[in-house]
Amino acid sequence: MNISGILVVVSPQRVESMVDQLSGLDGIDVHHIDAATGRIVITQEAATIRDEVDGLKRIQALPGIILAEMSYHNFEDDSELLQGIPADLDDTDKVPAYLKE
Amino acid sequence: MDVTRREFLKTSAAAATATAAGITLPAAALAKSKEAEAGVQWDKGVCRFCGTGCGIMVGTRDGRIVATKGDPDAPVNKGLNCIKGYFNGKIIYGKDRLTQPLMRMTDGKFDKQGKFQAVSWERAFDEMEKQFRKTYREMGPHGVAIFGSGQYTIPEGYVSAKLMKAGFRSNNIDPNARHCMASAVVGFIQTFGIDEPAGNYDDIEHTDTVVTWGANMAECHPILWARVSDRRLTDDNVKLVNLTTISNQTSDIADMEIIFKPGTDLAIQNYILREIVKNDAVNHDFVNKHCVFATGPYDIGYGMRPTDKYCYEAEKDIQVKELRVTLDKDEAIAQRKKAGEVVEQKNTKVPVKHWMIGYEDFKKGVEPYTLDFVAQLSKGDPDEDLEAYKKKLQELAKLYMNKNRKVVSFWTMGFNQHYRGSWVNEQNYAIHLLLGKQCMPGNGAFSLTGQPSACGTAREVGTFAHRLPADLVVFNPKHRAFSENLWKLPPNTLNPKVGSHITKIMRDLEDGNVKWAWVQVNNPFQATANANHWLKAARKADNFLVVSDPYPTVSAKVADLILPTAMIFEKWGLYGNAERRTQAWRQQVAPPGEAMGDVWQGLEFSKRFKLKDVWGEQQVPGLQAEGFEDGKLPSVLADAQKMGYSPDDTLYDVLFATKDNRKVKWPDKSVAKGHDNHIAEKLGDGWFPEKALFNEYRQFGVGHAHDLAAFDVYYGDDVRGLKWPVVDGKETQWRFNEQYDSYCAKGSGFDFYGKALKALPSGDLDKVTNAEKTSLASKAKIFFRPYAAPPEQPDKNYDLWFSTGRVLEHWHTGTMTRRVPELHRAVPTAVLFMNPADAEARGIKRNDIAWIESRRGKVKALVETQGRNRPTKGYTFAAFFDEGVFVNKVCLDVTCPMSKEEDFKKAAIKVYKA
Repeated sequence: MNISGILVVVSPQRVESMVDQLSGLDGIDVHHIDAATGRIVITQEAATIRDEVDGLKRIQALPGIILAEMSYHNFEDDSELLQGIPADLDDTDKVPAYLKE
Repeated sequence: MDVTRREFLKTSAAAATATAAGITLPAAALAKSKEAEAGVQWDKGVCRFCGTGCGIMVGTRDGRIVATKGDPDAPVNKGLNCIKGYFNGKIIYGKDRLTQPLMRMTDGKFDKQGKFQAVSWERAFDEMEKQFRKTYREMGPHGVAIFGSGQYTIPEGYVSAKLMKAGFRSNNIDPNARHCMASAVVGFIQTFGIDEPAGNYDDIEHTDTVVTWGANMAECHPILWARVSDRRLTDDNVKLVNLTTISNQTSDIADMEIIFKPGTDLAIQNYILREIVKNDAVNHDFVNKHCVFATGPYDIGYGMRPTDKYCYEAEKDIQVKELRVTLDKDEAIAQRKKAGEVVEQKNTKVPVKHWMIGYEDFKKGVEPYTLDFVAQLSKGDPDEDLEAYKKKLQELAKLYMNKNRKVVSFWTMGFNQHYRGSWVNEQNYAIHLLLGKQCMPGNGAFSLTGQPSACGTAREVGTFAHRLPADLVVFNPKHRAFSENLWKLPPNTLNPKVGSHITKIMRDLEDGNVKWAWVQVNNPFQATANANHWLKAARKADNFLVVSDPYPTVSAKVADLILPTAMIFEKWGLYGNAERRTQAWRQQVAPPGEAMGDVWQGLEFSKRFKLKDVWGEQQVPGLQAEGFEDGKLPSVLADAQKMGYSPDDTLYDVLFATKDNRKVKWPDKSVAKGHDNHIAEKLGDGWFPEKALFNEYRQFGVGHAHDLAAFDVYYGDDVRGLKWPVVDGKETQWRFNEQYDSYCAKGSGFDFYGKALKALPSGDLDKVTNAEKTSLASKAKIFFRPYAAPPEQPDKNYDLWFSTGRVLEHWHTGTMTRRVPELHRAVPTAVLFMNPADAEARGIKRNDIAWIESRRGKVKALVETQGRNRPTKGYTFAAFFDEGVFVNKVCLDVTCPMSKEEDFKKAAIKVYKA
């Protein structure tokens, strides 16, 4: 599970409609709005990095977006990641399959 | 994860993002977010990936990285990150991380044909040393080589460069940054006499015109592009122009996109220069006071081998152009010659030579570059209307010339990876200098960087075959003497002969001139063009190849010995980005298994050699230099003894753990603040190598316009990197501008004080007419460089252009980013982007598998006719991150003859259904 903080910037007159659109997207929560500067702070929850990346691209593709970039990323109990580490280094084969081809 | 924890983390993520955005939050919200992060220790770091140099905060808990965030205090990225930024915390946890040295063995012995088996570090170094000694005895310093990196930390590059140059007396160390930045360096040295940009990223906010040349910033420098976009979309006066050979994401918000034919950027630049002259938009005051005009020979070849001995049959018709070129009709106009004229390439050995010319000669040089000539030559999209294209060129020239506009020109690999890469770099400075729009806030030609420390390490430390730290060069006797003095070496220890550049090291492995090589922090066997040759060379029986890497790569696969290596936040380090900003980080977590940092590997290897092994007389084929008349490096052992060294002292003691350096103690509580240093601890002899070596290194630059601050300064809580030169504790924002740069002479206004190549003979456009050298101290050069045609172009057999580069989600050869499984799946394999009409003409549909074939090799790829890169007819593109689509087997190893940087952007291919 990945949780990201994303900053979205739109022109001030579009803030309201953008907040509505963003709220309707899967995995997105709108947290803070600064109407005067067009800044909207959202979080995105995504099961995999692919969802995370695609999720951001889907926001960047919304009409009227000036900027949408990530700022914060938490993967403290990311299962993909944990699988990446052999449980016991001494028990694993030191030579990756790739190098045996 | 339970719901409460998840909500907690979201609060925390939102608070961090709000802070980055400058939104003030109520105290209650901040308190809640703090609670969520209980137990997470945050420390500043630098992104591992591109040359932008974004600041990130790294969060660790229980010895693991659990979170990262854009550093809100970092002036580069102001709290934001691009997608690659996210992987900093993840890349170290890939499944196939190497944790023990691996060597090819049969029956317990090293065997070139054997299978990889895990061995101890001791055993690994034993074999490495044995093989090194064998080659060194047989061939001397030039038989060994290091493939270095623009991703080395500063201490890593320093250890490797010093070990090779001062220890082994070899200049055969060259970084992968050669493939990315070398043309930019030549442009800087030739024009300004000193390396690296004058301006900084704040130029983006100061300017109102941004022109990108061969730089897909939207994908390759997304955070800088976010700053550009922000500027564009909040000010209607701001204009963006994207010059490219393939329509890409950078065009999406551009006001104007100019699609040009590969190589004709040179003609477009000369058209702009001609317009500036014709419209008298020249800033005469600036030019008269601060500039001279210059030119050089055109017959400089294309950086190929001078012989076809090693060529495949199909390569020979291109290779022959290294010797002689038949001018086509456009080159004839551009170079004031006759079409069909055969030009012997007489200046391939001295491509950088140049001389001063007058303004009248310069005008004569650009005169042929009329709108009609340049438009028909350069228009890249066959379907675009010529008149519409001409209007764009005129508009571009007007934007540059407009006295009320500031202009920043950005470029990266489209210019640098170019058979005339140094020329196109020089010509952008020519445009800005002629207009007087250089070295001031919002005005300047700005070379962006591809790698995180191509500037900070590869260039500033000097891990190139011709360089020493701080812009010093091995072929200058004064520079060698200065370095020998600083390094406490006997006179004439350093080798004056320039070593092999990275492509030449590959060629040397193929033709038997190098037999022992060590790959550090890069993957050259995937990243070097014309790869089929080099893969085979690596496996030649005589060659011994060591690869240090955290992961199994193509290079590891063709190696004989693999050393498991610590990654970014598993060690201490410093990087220098594209705006001269040096940034530092501490070790955050321990490396896995027996993996060790590159600094340790270099130091440990140095313990195995005594002065008597390397400082005796050495043969150096082709050595010609004053003081070395017998063509050999003299024995310096007697002088070493006079200096108090013993022939039995190790290189470790003489070069690294010196008496002075041992005074720099580890542990160092005031800097470490509770962080470990696995290298200092493993060495166990009480010194702090990264700090001691950095502080030794910085002495090269202090007082020489390359001033770095002391090590501890960069670790200060309030410091987010400093832009050198750092003088009296102050960084320098715009160099060569008296208002900002303390190195400028008082009252000068502007002072191009760089010292290199600042006395020149003079002549006309074709030749030197007065050999007497005139000083041009304090001045910059405006070059005239003509259009020259690419040596390989589409023909009947290979009928499409092919170019390679990066995509947003992946970094270089994918060694790190492809470890993240889902990321890998997002772009499962590099695709061949092509125009739908070209695909249809070949009976290929979207998502079909097709062969990409050139004179040098062929690979299969999935065909994409939609998506983010949209080639016009005749053009194709595929990224190089995927070893499954090994595009460098197809690419051509032509280089800019001046910079020796490969041209990855212009190969001719054919495509057919697989």
